[in-house]
Amino acid sequence: MQGLWTIYRRELAGLFLSPLAWILLTIALFAHGYIFIFYLVSVTGRDLRAAMQLALAGDVFWWFMLLLPPLLTMRMISEEARSGVLEFLLTAPATDVAVVLGKLAAATTFMGLLWSSVLLYGGAAHLLGVRPDWIPAISGVFGATLVSCLFSSIGLVASALSSTPILAAFAAVVMNFLVIVLPSLDALLKLPAGHWAKVALGHASVVSQYQSSFGIGVLDTKHLVFFAAWIAFFVFVATRLLEKRRWS
Amino acid sequence: MITVRGLTRRFGAVTAVEALDFQLEKGEVVGFLGPNGAGKTTTMRILAGYLPATEGVAVVAGFDVLRQSMEVRKRIGYLPESVPLYAELRVEEMLEFQGRLHGLSRAERRQRIPRVLERAGIADRSRSIIGQLSRGQRQRVGIAVALLPDPQVLILDEPTSGLDPLQRLEIRKLLTELAREHTVLLSSHILPEIEAVCPRVIILSHGRIAADGSKDALLHKLGGGSYVRVEAVVGPDAAGAARLLGAIKGAGAVRDRGRLGIHHVFEVPCVEDLREDVGALAASKKWALRELSWRKPTLEQLFARIALDLPLETPEDGASAPAAASAAPSGAVTLQVDAQLRAAPASAPAAAPSSFRPLNPFEAAAPSAPAPGEKSAEKPAAPRVVYNLNPFDQGASRDLSRPKAIDDAPRAE
Repeated sequence: MQGLWTIYRRELAGLFLSPLAWILLTIALFAHGYIFIFYLVSVTGRDLRAAMQLALAGDVFWWFMLLLPPLLTMRMISEEARSGVLEFLLTAPATDVAVVLGKLAAATTFMGLLWSSVLLYGGAAHLLGVRPDWIPAISGVFGATLVSCLFSSIGLVASALSSTPILAAFAAVVMNFLVIVLPSLDALLKLPAGHWAKVALGHASVVSQYQSSFGIGVLDTKHLVFFAAWIAFFVFVATRLLEKRRWS
Repeated sequence: MITVRGLTRRFGAVTAVEALDFQLEKGEVVGFLGPNGAGKTTTMRILAGYLPATEGVAVVAGFDVLRQSMEVRKRIGYLPESVPLYAELRVEEMLEFQGRLHGLSRAERRQRIPRVLERAGIADRSRSIIGQLSRGQRQRVGIAVALLPDPQVLILDEPTSGLDPLQRLEIRKLLTELAREHTVLLSSHILPEIEAVCPRVIILSHGRIAADGSKDALLHKLGGGSYVRVEAVVGPDAAGAARLLGAIKGAGAVRDRGRLGIHHVFEVPCVEDLREDVGALAASKKWALRELSWRKPTLEQLFARIALDLPLETPEDGASAPAAASAAPSGAVTLQVDAQLRAAPASAPAAAPSSFRPLNPFEAAAPSAPAPGEKSAEKPAAPRVVYNLNPFDQGASRDLSRPKAIDDAPRAE
């Protein structure tokens, strides 16, 4: 893809040249580390394996997912549209998809960096003589990065929709929330067992798809396809929205 | 190098450009001229592949802008009006980014980046963060970025806006240099610039091409009306003197502008400079000459007329009654207000005879220009005011009967 790598590098540099990324990273790492200790000491009764699993799948993990990707991606398109840099990018020899994918990859890399901190906790425990269960931890980090990629793609859609970063972040949080609670429609509609919609909603649950696979160290193409399809859908929407700017 | 046929772009109900037709040969430098909202930026955006056209075809460097966008984008350097640059990057990092986007190898980048920085005159700031540069410096960085891939076609949207006169002069010099190697399309509403850099001018007005050609050809075709002005003591027989002047080879129908004191004023329309012939005639007839000058319409006046939708081929509208002319600075196009209202009724829809509408050429382009303040309508019997029609003379709506020099709108008091 023409220009993707160049745009990815620029975006990543842009993220780390702005204070926002460092602030987010600091706060998230601090909070995440604290939560991990909390899980380890108070919740799981000093069970390292369970604590690491919780750190990558518990409630707090989903709160991070809800809030962090939107904050990362909110400026990516909206701010560039406002400052006019988008006009530069869209007249440079790079396709619209490459622009979106480059930005998505940068946000995903950042989130991956954040989640890989869990491996640090494992490493620290290892040094202290407790052997962590590495396989679910690594697959958990990979899965968490994949889920972050999905939420970042939603964030990019929101960023392409609005030309105000804060509004884009808010819209992204709302959309992320809707994606997470989508399966609850089932309970709301009181669908009979075996109804096609009930089955479909059961399959559409991001949380259970994640927790039944990467979270416990199971890699299955089924789950990979599930996330890839959702990401592709939102990348498609974001690309179309970018293209729409040319027409209006 | 650039071929445009029937190019139309609509934004909803608004038509930004309509049925544009023009062609740029390789190595040509063409200036886009027009008041704000005439469609300059829209046309350039279409050519750069940012906006798709609603109708029509645009071919740049042999590739269709819409269908072979990537090929076109590789071959053009486009500098939008807003000079988009990443504020958090350093100058050289921005150029690195542009080089990578265009697929330049590391060696090419290393060789070209210092060169374009040098050309754009910003080499000393290559390590500066773009966000900390001044407007003029950013403009130069923008030009360097556009130049980096060594494009066949350069499209520069108002490359000198926001610069001080000195910087403008330097950019103008740079543009003249660039013209030797690239096909350049640039837009501006600063006339002297276009006149200095571009041999060919395309004047846009209301999304249409109002004029296209070399400056001289434009003046000849549209402006017409160059004349020799004679002020001399010719005795009682003015009509006879006018006949004699009209008999000079190349002279048109002589206009008698009446007496100014003991002197008589004539205007001898001509295509070429007839001052010597007129001078010789005056010497042989022993007329005492006070003024002998050749008046040509300038591109500015032409542009103002186009922008104001005034008829183009009326040489008379450049002149007015002698009394009025004496109140205005010489050489300026002067018109009396009511004459102006008659000539351009469309541009003054609701103006009461006593309330003035500023003769701002840029306002004619905006359909919903605000009406002049109501208070001025209450003021009874306003004086007959002479307006300076030269829009580039800071206050286009300047009331010359008052001492204040700069005033955007008629004051309400």
